[in-house]
Amino acid sequence: MADILDILELEQPANEISRDSIIHGDKVKKKYVTAKAVKRPEGMHREVFALLYNDNKDLPPLLPTDTGKAYKQTKAKLGMRKVRKWVWAPFTNPARTDNAVFHHWKRASDEAKEYPFAQFNKQVSIPSYSESEYNQYLKSEDWSQAETDHLMDLCQRFDLRFIVIHDRWDRAAFRDRTVEDLKERYYGICATLSKVKTNPWSNTVTMVNGEKRIYHYDAEHERKRKEQLRRLFDRTQDQIDEEQMLLTELKKIEARKRERERKTQDLQKLISRADSGNLPPINQVTNNNEGASTPSNNASSIARRHDRKLHKKKLTAQQRPVRAVETVTVEWSGIKFPESRATGVSMRSQRMKLPPGVGQRKTKAIEQELRLMNIDVAPTPTEAICKHFNELRSDLALALDLKNALASCEYELQALRHQYEALNPGKTLTIPPSICNMAADNETKPVGEIIDVVGSPSALNSTI
Amino acid sequence: MSLQTDFGPDSGGRVKGLVIVKPIVYGNVARYFGKKREEDGHTHQWTVYVKPYANEDMSTYIKKVHFKLHESYANPNRVVTKQPYELTETGWGEFEIVIKIYFHDPNERPVALYHILKLFQSPVTDGAPPTVGRALVSESYEEIVFQEPTQLMQHLLNSVKPITNGPWTHDTDFEEKKEKTLQKIIAAQTKVRSEISELKEKLHLAKETINKFKDEIAKLQNSSGGGMMTGV
Repeated sequence: MADILDILELEQPANEISRDSIIHGDKVKKKYVTAKAVKRPEGMHREVFALLYNDNKDLPPLLPTDTGKAYKQTKAKLGMRKVRKWVWAPFTNPARTDNAVFHHWKRASDEAKEYPFAQFNKQVSIPSYSESEYNQYLKSEDWSQAETDHLMDLCQRFDLRFIVIHDRWDRAAFRDRTVEDLKERYYGICATLSKVKTNPWSNTVTMVNGEKRIYHYDAEHERKRKEQLRRLFDRTQDQIDEEQMLLTELKKIEARKRERERKTQDLQKLISRADSGNLPPINQVTNNNEGASTPSNNASSIARRHDRKLHKKKLTAQQRPVRAVETVTVEWSGIKFPESRATGVSMRSQRMKLPPGVGQRKTKAIEQELRLMNIDVAPTPTEAICKHFNELRSDLALALDLKNALASCEYELQALRHQYEALNPGKTLTIPPSICNMAADNETKPVGEIIDVVGSPSALNSTI
Repeated sequence: MSLQTDFGPDSGGRVKGLVIVKPIVYGNVARYFGKKREEDGHTHQWTVYVKPYANEDMSTYIKKVHFKLHESYANPNRVVTKQPYELTETGWGEFEIVIKIYFHDPNERPVALYHILKLFQSPVTDGAPPTVGRALVSESYEEIVFQEPTQLMQHLLNSVKPITNGPWTHDTDFEEKKEKTLQKIIAAQTKVRSEISELKEKLHLAKETINKFKDEIAKLQNSSGGGMMTGV
């Protein structure tokens, strides 16, 4: 409240609660009554001033004013019980050895008890040893007895705060030792003594299932750990940057590796599916459509010669095919058309619709292949044509997948060859030419053939 | 049109395992006026139609055919209930016509065909001679497949009568077209199959080569690995 008044540059009103006002309440009241209306301070807005002062030029009430004098009889009742007395009493702390006397407030009714916080002054029990015990068990080449005694003394004094012990180490009398050295010696002594003596040192020995467990301090590990931390701390900004860079590189490499592994897995699946013979034999249809059906496997060798020109695809453009498309086809190895239809009337041409799982890109690629082979993308829908047309497109999809897989294989081969060349400069590995020639085919592909991908809508119907 | 009533209203029972196929031809003919008509700018008269492929009267099983024209036509939804199922109009532009065929048995849902009205000869049509003064025909073959039809429908489908005593021909020789298409597809299939087996061989070779390369690299890394490590 005083702050506001300060800001408003008002005179301190008298009824502020302070020790003074409580003790000399009457005087203050008088002062309040005599307080005069104040002029508007310079710089204060008229509106604000008007809010603070009413027409009578009285000071505004700063405390609730509904406690009229007539009713101001009852005293504040803060508790039901009588007020208990507090006394300023002396006490001694048993944790201290110097018997110093301090004072604190306490209830007069409380009986004198031991200082309650003394219980928190825990003492560690430091093992002790006799001269003969030392000579028998604790002799060390590195530590003289005087130095060991000094260590045990410091341990006792500083409650095993080894950093402090290290700091207070008597470097004039003994050579400088690291914190690890000190700890190693101390815990070594504890372990040895707890083995040979029966009294347990509470903080180094714990009983587990009636068996003594001795705390073993691994100094070597601690040294390494601290060394590591030190090195980590001592890195320069350049080193940090380089490390970051290397880490991101590593991540990238691992991601690529995973990608390749996934692809090879997909490929394996694809090959096994393709091998499992889900290609039904083609019916070799003679002129009257009713001729003898023979499997076409023997015809493949004849067709093999001239088809190489035909299977050119926009493969190089998409070395990494979209994952969704790839997985869909890998699962099917071709396209699976829904088998039987529900009862009712339908149009035959509906059966040539590609199932919705086939992606846009795949559909386009298949249609492009069909155009290259001069086949209508919506042929006359008879039962036989529907069947063969669907099979053909399924095969085309499989062929496209295989081509993609082959392209990724080729890519991997190239990568491996580069890796080999890097490892073994001057030497190289030869990739079998039959694998590479697909890429060569692609490069020599005439541009004109790949342009007309989007047909005019009228191409759906044959026109005479 | 009087319906056979022997089957009663509960003729929904379907004939299991039966499939009846009715081939049809749909499309349009168009004739150019020779000039743009003064009053409305129309240039062509055209007729869109659905007709049976065989010489059969479809009205025994078809109740009505609904042609949905472009919305710029006055009442674009035209319904034809009698043979022949065709509609003649004039216009100046091409658009998609939805042809919906309704059957006498309400248990069989109507089927829809989509035809793009063709008025203008495409600039380069393979084989077809330029049609000067002759009507332009754009028609397609389609088969209506009745999968397990209702008993009523089966009866109607089997009791079709011929339309004419004379020959029933189409502008397009669909038989030849079917045959050619099928041959082409089968030839392509053979080709693709051989291509697939070839690709598979290549893939196997590629896989083997990849493994070989990996072995080589592993060998190299093992032999030079110690030196590399100390180098680092």
